Amino acid sequence: MEYFEPKSIGDALSLLSKHGAEAKVIAGGTDVMVDIKFKEEPGALVNIKKIPSLAGITERGGSLRIGALTTIRDIETSALVREKLPVLWDACRQFASLQVRNTATIGGNICRASPSGESLTPLLVLEANAILAFSDGERSEPFKTFFQGPGKSAAGAKGLLTEVDIPIPPAGSKGVYLKHAVRGAMDIAMVGVAVMLTPDAGKNNAQDVRIGLGAVGPTPLRAPKTEALLKGKALTAALIKEAGALAATEASPITDQRSSAENRRWIVEALTRRGLEQTWKAATGKEVA
Amino acid sequence: MSVKINTTINGQAVSASAEASTSLLEFLRDTLEMKGSKLCCNTGECGACTVIYNGKPINSCVTMAADANGAQITTIEGLADGDKLHPVQQAFIDTGAVQCGYCTPGYIMSVKALLDRTKKPTQADIEEAVSGNICRCTGYNKIVDAIHLAAAKL
Repeated sequence: MEYFEPKSIGDALSLLSKHGAEAKVIAGGTDVMVDIKFKEEPGALVNIKKIPSLAGITERGGSLRIGALTTIRDIETSALVREKLPVLWDACRQFASLQVRNTATIGGNICRASPSGESLTPLLVLEANAILAFSDGERSEPFKTFFQGPGKSAAGAKGLLTEVDIPIPPAGSKGVYLKHAVRGAMDIAMVGVAVMLTPDAGKNNAQDVRIGLGAVGPTPLRAPKTEALLKGKALTAALIKEAGALAATEASPITDQRSSAENRRWIVEALTRRGLEQTWKAATGKEVA
Repeated sequence: MSVKINTTINGQAVSASAEASTSLLEFLRDTLEMKGSKLCCNTGECGACTVIYNGKPINSCVTMAADANGAQITTIEGLADGDKLHPVQQAFIDTGAVQCGYCTPGYIMSVKALLDRTKKPTQADIEEAVSGNICRCTGYNKIVDAIHLAAAKL
């Protein structure tokens, strides 16, 4: 295995162009090191941690920009993220162990493109964009189209994720990330559900509702039919029940060692209901009628 | 491909070479013959290999040895002052928080990092700090007792 520590984005892109599918980018290493030990070594390992200015959280023009090398712990402990992007904060605090959060990067979690990746459904509901560098220039790709399948993303073999651009939701918007797993944060999620709710000015209706479903499809998913059902309405117990059942039909889970597909649909239903109840109460100050 | 590693371990400058695919844990145990950090799951799930890397607890089994370059690393071997044990080590003995002992070095490093960042940890701080450490003998209550005792003594 060849090994490289590029010092610039340009150098990293040249290495990826040269080595193509043989190359593997490594950042924190909490996934890639396991692959190296238990699956196979790549032909060339490209460690991007020596590239300056790829880590950090900054507010810029109504967005938060999070560098690809920012650790999950740095996101979890950022007062800015907790205040402006509670749905992402909530996911990062349920992300494996402290040791892993101290090492794992958001860029790695994204580029791994696992349907169960903790940060992915929050990024979908936040309608965030991946900032990708290619040898012929930079482009911004919405996460809606970034994720293409398990382990497959718009970064491909030759692109490098440099930053995540996250529009800050309107003030008053609330978000939660709910994870179902046997061993809490330590486990890979059987199901993860991200819910974001923005109330109208009078806090009487849900002006906007966004629902993200994790580990129940080849990519993290949105639940557009469920969102449309709820938009502009006051959330009642009956409506939330209907929304949970509809969200379960929008998931396309598989059966694997962690859960059956049927069980996953039940959990989607339960977590969607719970997420709607919690965000409605947080956003409007009212219990669900 | 071999990589040259210049690092600081327990306050001492160390210079050695390792294959690029080597984990920090393998570097510590096999290259430097420091066997205190334990190899267990080797996938970043059990915490037996925990070391403190630039002030933060990490799993050395899923960290590249190459990333030790320029870093400050503290391992279990760096805690005692000669024959005098570190207060966290002594607290684990005094409360009987050690059963088979295999997970103990990892726990102690997680607790050392916790008490470095907060002198008066809450129960929630403690549970978070050791949530990535597994004790297969399941003596968790005594481990929590040890952490409270160490916090009181430090």
